[in-house]
Amino acid sequence: MIELFAENADFYLSGFRNTLLLFAAALTLSVALGTVMAAFRVWGPALVSGLATIYVEFFRSTPLLIQLIFYGTFLAQAGLVRSPMQAGIIGLSIYTGAFVTEVVRSGILSVDARQLETARSLGLTQVQALRHVVMPQAVRTVIPPLGNVAIALAKNTTLVGAALAAEDLLKVGQIIESRTFDPNALTVVVLGYLAITLPLAWTVGRLERRMAFAR
Amino acid sequence: MTGMAAVRRRVVSPTLAAVLVLAVAAALGFLTGVLPAEKWRPFLYLSTWTYLAPGLLTTVLIGGSALVGSIVIGLGLAFARIGLPGIVRWLIVTWVELVRATPILAILLITYLAPRRLGVDITFIQAAIVGLTIYNSAVLAEIFRAGILSIARGEIEAARSLGLSAVQTMRHVILPQAIGRMMPAIVSQLITLNKDTTLASVISVRELLGLGRSFWNFYGNLLETSLVLLLIFFAINYPLSLVSRRLEARQPKEERITVLGEEDQVKVAA
Repeated sequence: MIELFAENADFYLSGFRNTLLLFAAALTLSVALGTVMAAFRVWGPALVSGLATIYVEFFRSTPLLIQLIFYGTFLAQAGLVRSPMQAGIIGLSIYTGAFVTEVVRSGILSVDARQLETARSLGLTQVQALRHVVMPQAVRTVIPPLGNVAIALAKNTTLVGAALAAEDLLKVGQIIESRTFDPNALTVVVLGYLAITLPLAWTVGRLERRMAFAR
Repeated sequence: MTGMAAVRRRVVSPTLAAVLVLAVAAALGFLTGVLPAEKWRPFLYLSTWTYLAPGLLTTVLIGGSALVGSIVIGLGLAFARIGLPGIVRWLIVTWVELVRATPILAILLITYLAPRRLGVDITFIQAAIVGLTIYNSAVLAEIFRAGILSIARGEIEAARSLGLSAVQTMRHVILPQAIGRMMPAIVSQLITLNKDTTLASVISVRELLGLGRSFWNFYGNLLETSLVLLLIFFAINYPLSLVSRRLEARQPKEERITVLGEEDQVKVAA
């Protein structure tokens, strides 16, 4: 297996880089999207909040693989993306954003509404009250479940290679397997993913335990 | 309701309003020709649905078999992890953690390719069921374990001191209570499993997505077909998620179970 890796090291590393890129970019975008959508759901006018709800329910309930196939084709036809990687990042972000929305929303709702009212009556503007009173408390409850979403996202990056012509780590492993007929080509891949997901899982577990004490 | 959403009163359901807006937009799209009607026409043919129906059956078959297998194996893993000593427990913990940290698609590719390279004949569907069972049994084992451990120690001690055996305690005292607490998480996982059956199409299983692919290649309507497939999955999974939430709402907060690393096992307030 070490030999197999050594012979294909460059190819594996390029796949690993692509996987990391998908993960990091989609995580950033989905957190941004999810935060906005959560704000829409909680504070938005009826129609906006309704659209945000449909967004969450629809994208959470449908398979990511089909979503990615859809965006890959749609965005390419519309000339909005230049590579399958870009389409993959957008697709992963929209899907993951739906989960982030729910996490952030429950974080916001975990802060008592009276705190916002109190802050407002003390003369803070709505934005100031959110910024200095609600958000700092919401962030604490949001971090561990957000870590869960990040772990799932790291695993979901594998679907980009399956749906679109992107060469993420798993796709690279598949190509090497089909060349060498050695299933260990995939064992190398699994180790690559574990290198991302296990440290994340440990971190999330520790945060959870620390939070449990803090409460 | 104590959340901030309660601050404002709503006359019309926002979701309903948004659905209406989307429906009007779609209708306008058809009328103005922005949405090409001829690409949607195949969905009016009966042959389309008789073609796709076996795919849905395969999806249900794979999901159902994997679910049954995962429950049996998951229970075994959970009991073994709680009841067995030292090295066995350590092995199970390691196995469960490793499997849950591995992408399902990688597991499916391994269950599909490895036996073939070793000369074992395994059909695509079997490989998919085995792969999905391996992953989901690990997740369910965690859910079962969390459910069993959530029952207060005092109840177990009381049952044992009343003369019930360990097995009787499990059967008559712990499980009946634990099942209620586990149900929301199990239904959530069922949704994830249902979505994950589409991954079987990557290893050539002709389930809903697999047949959908041939279908859109024939009619040249990938966007339309994939949208219809998404709607089919939504029609199955959304009611399930409502069930899961209703079950969860019935549980007192401190009795709710979440499993780390699963995107659907997110606690949702309100």
